[in-house]
Amino acid sequence: MIQDPVVITGIGIISAIGNDVVATLDTLKRGESGIDMIKYLKTEHTEFPVGEVKMSNEEMESKLGIATGTTTTRTALMGMIALDEAVEMARLDAAATAGSDIAFISGTTVGGMDRSEQHYLDFLAGDSFKEYISTHDCGACSEMIASKHDIFSFVATPSTACSSAANSIILGANMLLTGQSNVVVAGGSECITKFHLNGFNTLMILDREHCRPFDETRAGLNLGEGAAFLVMERMSHALGRNVKPLVILAGWGNACDAFHQTASSDDGEGAYRAMKQALEKAGVKPEQVKYINAHGTGTPNNDISETHAMQRLFGDSVPPVSSTKSSTGHTTSASGSIESVITILAMLNDFLPANLGFKTPIEGGVTPVAKPTAGADIDYALCNSFGFGGNDSSLLYMKPGSDDVEGRKS
Amino acid sequence: MKLTHPVYISAATQISIQQPLSEEWINAPVMPEGLYNEAIDPLFKEWLSAGEARRLGKIMKRAVATSAVAMNRSGIDNPDAIITATGLGCVKNTELFLTDLCNNGEQLLKPTQFMQSTHNTIGSLIAILNKCHGYNVTYANGDISAETALLDAATQMQLGDIKTALVGAHDEMTPCYYTLLERIGYYGVKGMVTSGETAVSLMLTDEKNDSAICRISDITVLHKASDSKIADTLTKTGEASCIIAGFNGKAETDLLYKSLIERHYPDSTVLQYKNLFGENMTSSALGIYAAVSILKHGRFPSAMYVAGPTGKSIDSIICLNISGNNIGIVKLTAL
Repeated sequence: MIQDPVVITGIGIISAIGNDVVATLDTLKRGESGIDMIKYLKTEHTEFPVGEVKMSNEEMESKLGIATGTTTTRTALMGMIALDEAVEMARLDAAATAGSDIAFISGTTVGGMDRSEQHYLDFLAGDSFKEYISTHDCGACSEMIASKHDIFSFVATPSTACSSAANSIILGANMLLTGQSNVVVAGGSECITKFHLNGFNTLMILDREHCRPFDETRAGLNLGEGAAFLVMERMSHALGRNVKPLVILAGWGNACDAFHQTASSDDGEGAYRAMKQALEKAGVKPEQVKYINAHGTGTPNNDISETHAMQRLFGDSVPPVSSTKSSTGHTTSASGSIESVITILAMLNDFLPANLGFKTPIEGGVTPVAKPTAGADIDYALCNSFGFGGNDSSLLYMKPGSDDVEGRKS
Repeated sequence: MKLTHPVYISAATQISIQQPLSEEWINAPVMPEGLYNEAIDPLFKEWLSAGEARRLGKIMKRAVATSAVAMNRSGIDNPDAIITATGLGCVKNTELFLTDLCNNGEQLLKPTQFMQSTHNTIGSLIAILNKCHGYNVTYANGDISAETALLDAATQMQLGDIKTALVGAHDEMTPCYYTLLERIGYYGVKGMVTSGETAVSLMLTDEKNDSAICRISDITVLHKASDSKIADTLTKTGEASCIIAGFNGKAETDLLYKSLIERHYPDSTVLQYKNLFGENMTSSALGIYAAVSILKHGRFPSAMYVAGPTGKSIDSIICLNISGNNIGIVKLTAL
């Protein structure tokens, strides 16, 4: 374990299963899904169930106190809601942090595509709605979210498809370890767009039923949306300003499957390497891991590849696994931070979140946690995020023992 | 951040509106005309089969070629990390998919266009073609993408997590997207340089191998920095005999560069590069590439000259990129 490790001191989340941490925890404990028929996205493809955030843009603007008609994107609005919550929990207000170097690292791939696809023909025709040309790119989206709090001296935007938010957390950890930042707020935000709903549809990886990760009958994913951010700092920094560390980020790994743009290798090479690196960085043995929040998209290809990767690393003793995408839908670029928050909530509340929809195991596969299970003491948990192009990342969280609060335990 | 653990640039190459994969621009630069210019492409058959070349977009082909050249020149064929910067990603395929979606509805769209529209397709392709299982991340940070990618590589080298990194910066432009960016004043402002396209590959190593050209001694990226924060950062970065700045002919931007340079580097040679390489979201990588080449060859085309002493030897260069809310500062030092 790294001396004076990186700890998480604040979390914020919005997804199909709740607009904040309390609601998310409540839904997870009840084992309910936020996946439903399409309500907010205007699309021809109403046949696909999705995990939408249960608010319109106007409702989010009102919650945030933003005047209707302000130039925003759905990705930015969700991001601001999650950022507000994380900043408040970690007490990162401008007065308390004056003179500190605080980084904001937010992953997205869709960026401002929700507005671009609504107004693209307007963009081509003339000047109407041209303000949304400026909000199209991913970086603009992060800057819009960051502007909600005037505390950031660095803003970055990893864009590695469905592992973007996990890679935000990894860059954040490295910036803390080199002392470039005193505090990092890292995560990601992504709304559902027609662009990627249709893209995933052309790849034939969307299920018309509720998704069933790790089930023999799984037939694809349900798209989701949302945002989550983690406030990260060194243990000494958190204790120095009297903020309670929720969990320790004990290890992380990033590897490339280097196999195919949209498919995972059968042996899960990239996933295996990412998880292995995360454990090695922390000096943790596989048997110490008590929960894996899997990438588990519900596509035939991902789940078998991830299964093989877990079996390579853990042998016959794969720890309890669940894919909470069965509750939230696949929140793509935000999934790394959304599922990190879910993993942290599981660790702090001693329960295993459910892999809903599971009935029949894949032959030779793993049997995921089918219902929310109380009484789990999770010392170490892995959270996997894999993206198109084989951009695979894995994060290892550790529950602080009483000793660790002093930063002593190795 | 001062790089206490050394970071060397062992190879640097480009495809842009200058002659591709060459340093001919130092002796005989192409002087771009008009406001829209696409890159001059090399023949790609050395790196891609005819079928692959047909299937891949130009941003991908250029990334393959510049990466291969950087790997070859540095003798590193399996870098520990592949880190890619792209402001807008695969614009052409995004445009095709989006146009189809808006004009023809949601029933007959093409998977290939979608697959090749994601930003990280570029870095992933390099990994797939070269079987690189190491760290692989893409940054889509607007105009500061290239510096962010370099910062990630340098940061991991400080921690000893990686020893080699292929850092790429790639952006393509289309006439249609140019028009959109012109509407919002990103391009085509009176007096402005041409638009350009960027494909830059740099090989970074933490050891001084035979092909090492220069060192990155400092790299900082600032967001919404106050004047005192900027001054403090530049003081920490220290002196340099040359400043390469992203002057682009927009009065407002150029004034920012001018006042910053006059205040902090009154005795340095000041150079521009966007008049030769054009403007786009990762064009600052072409500035860094140009700086590497100048340190290697000890000279620059007169078209780059803005101010300062002439004929003085150049042993360190600060690359300045000011755009929107962000400032990138990269200091290169001769070996």
